[in-house]
Amino acid sequence: MSDILRRAPALVALYAVLLAYAAVTLMPFAWMLITSFKESRDVFRLPPSFVPTMLYGPEPFANYTEVLTRYDFLLYFRNSFFVSTMAALGQVATCALAGYAFARMELPGKTVIFALILATAFVPTEVTIIPEFLLMRGLGWIDTFLPLIVPSFLVGSFGTFMLREYFASLPAEYGEAARIDGAGPWRIFWRVYLPLARPALISIFVIAFINNWDELLRPLLYLNSPELRTVPLGLMRFVGEFEAEWTLLMAGSVASTLPLILIYVLGQKYVLQGFAGGGVKG
Amino acid sequence: MTEIALTRVPDPRGRVPVSDTEPAVPPRRSRWKTWAPALLFLLPAIVGLLVFRLIPIGWAFALSFTSWRIFDDVAWVGLDNYAHILTSPVSREVLGNTLWFTAMYVPGVMIVSVTLAVLLNNALRSSAFFRGAFFLPYITATVAVTLAWRWIFSTRFGLLNHLLGQVDIDRIAWLADPAWALPAVAIVSVWKDAGFYMILLIAGLQTINPGLYEAARVDGAGAFRRFYAITLPLLSRSLFFVLILALVRSTQTFEITYALTNGGPNRASTTLAFYIYQNAFVHFEMGYASALAYVLCFVIGLITLLNFHLRRRWVHE
Repeated sequence: MSDILRRAPALVALYAVLLAYAAVTLMPFAWMLITSFKESRDVFRLPPSFVPTMLYGPEPFANYTEVLTRYDFLLYFRNSFFVSTMAALGQVATCALAGYAFARMELPGKTVIFALILATAFVPTEVTIIPEFLLMRGLGWIDTFLPLIVPSFLVGSFGTFMLREYFASLPAEYGEAARIDGAGPWRIFWRVYLPLARPALISIFVIAFINNWDELLRPLLYLNSPELRTVPLGLMRFVGEFEAEWTLLMAGSVASTLPLILIYVLGQKYVLQGFAGGGVKG
Repeated sequence: MTEIALTRVPDPRGRVPVSDTEPAVPPRRSRWKTWAPALLFLLPAIVGLLVFRLIPIGWAFALSFTSWRIFDDVAWVGLDNYAHILTSPVSREVLGNTLWFTAMYVPGVMIVSVTLAVLLNNALRSSAFFRGAFFLPYITATVAVTLAWRWIFSTRFGLLNHLLGQVDIDRIAWLADPAWALPAVAIVSVWKDAGFYMILLIAGLQTINPGLYEAARVDGAGAFRRFYAITLPLLSRSLFFVLILALVRSTQTFEITYALTNGGPNRASTTLAFYIYQNAFVHFEMGYASALAYVLCFVIGLITLLNFHLRRRWVHE
């Protein structure tokens, strides 16, 4: 107790700094939220007001309904959900198969393949994106969702690495027992090891979902039709066309952030578990 | 080499080959029976490695020696693109911007994340709230929060200039003034990423034995002394990792630039990664953009090598 008293001034200073920085990280969110509940005429007012006036009005969510329906953001959300879910499923599938094979199966040259997968992950996107674009163009996939989804079914260095560690940390005896019962390689993988890797799989799903939801470059390159826009692309196009409509834009921004916070909060336990499990052997 | 390594690994059925009941190297048929499933499992990853990694890496390298606008014929130009990058005033400006951005982003993000990690590690309670608050910018949608910042940076109606006005600082045209556009991108980038590095550093801090601090305190070492003598050396491995990540990331900023300044005014906030995007997908100069991308790759490689070279000098093993 006396120790705490002695440290009191230092602790007060410490919490003051922490609170000040929390204000810095939260301020843009607060400002985004407040602006999304303002009438558009209240936005250009000096000094800026911190009162979300619409919350007291008859239609508090008018900005949200307007941006979602009149400006097609509902459609953009559907597109983003579809693309992010498919891509995240693709990541889970590829990384599970590859991670399992690298950890538990035998193939000449697999260490070389694994080393190449890891090493090429360090080559910046800027190098590979130009040939990737030319390839997608050659395949006639421009203005479809395929370029945003198919690569996730084939490439995933981080997840492969993580799941390889995870599968390697599980006891080999489980597979042995299943084999004696007559299970083939696929059944051992599907019935025995895959269910055990659930936390790691969920964490890969969550991370991949967030990354794909956030992706701007590829939608920018591959999607032209307005009805295919993802949320980030929709927000950018909205700024381009209606620069001054800050209340609507901020409503769209808040809405686009909510699914990420939600999936992170729901998946947080698994994300942490996944990392802890993957790190056992690391 | 790999064959030798593989014999030490139990085979997929989970047993180590035993020499007197079965040969260490199984006959051809049964070898295929174990390899075929492995090959099937790895097929997507191998196809992906070839189609989205190895072939593009080679293809981009070849393109970097050509002059090719996407609708024209390909012309071989040797090293012209690279010579042009080194001599043209535009690309020099862009390289200078990249360096300036790195000089702001890396120290900024390191100072903030180390401070937060150390403070949180010393906090008594409620650190879950602060951890969540500090990590929030990293997991939320980049374009959305950058647009919020764009509104905060607004010269006349922006929140930031209003707050600065309270302490008698004149309005700054954050996004319109060439001197301030790149610092604005750096501010948003530090704001967004610091929480992520903080999480990595907290993990590093938690491996330090608390008894060391107690012993130092008993010996009369003050808070700063403890930080320099214990925390910094024992955290140096995590710091090294965070430094490399931050350096590499600083050369690759794209989304925030695109949503905040679009590289402007003029080229004031155009850094290398954004310039590559513009060349490739706005002007469709695929050859020149590929050469720029290889310069970026070279810079990243150089930074990483240099760091590993200097590692011995300051990282405490």
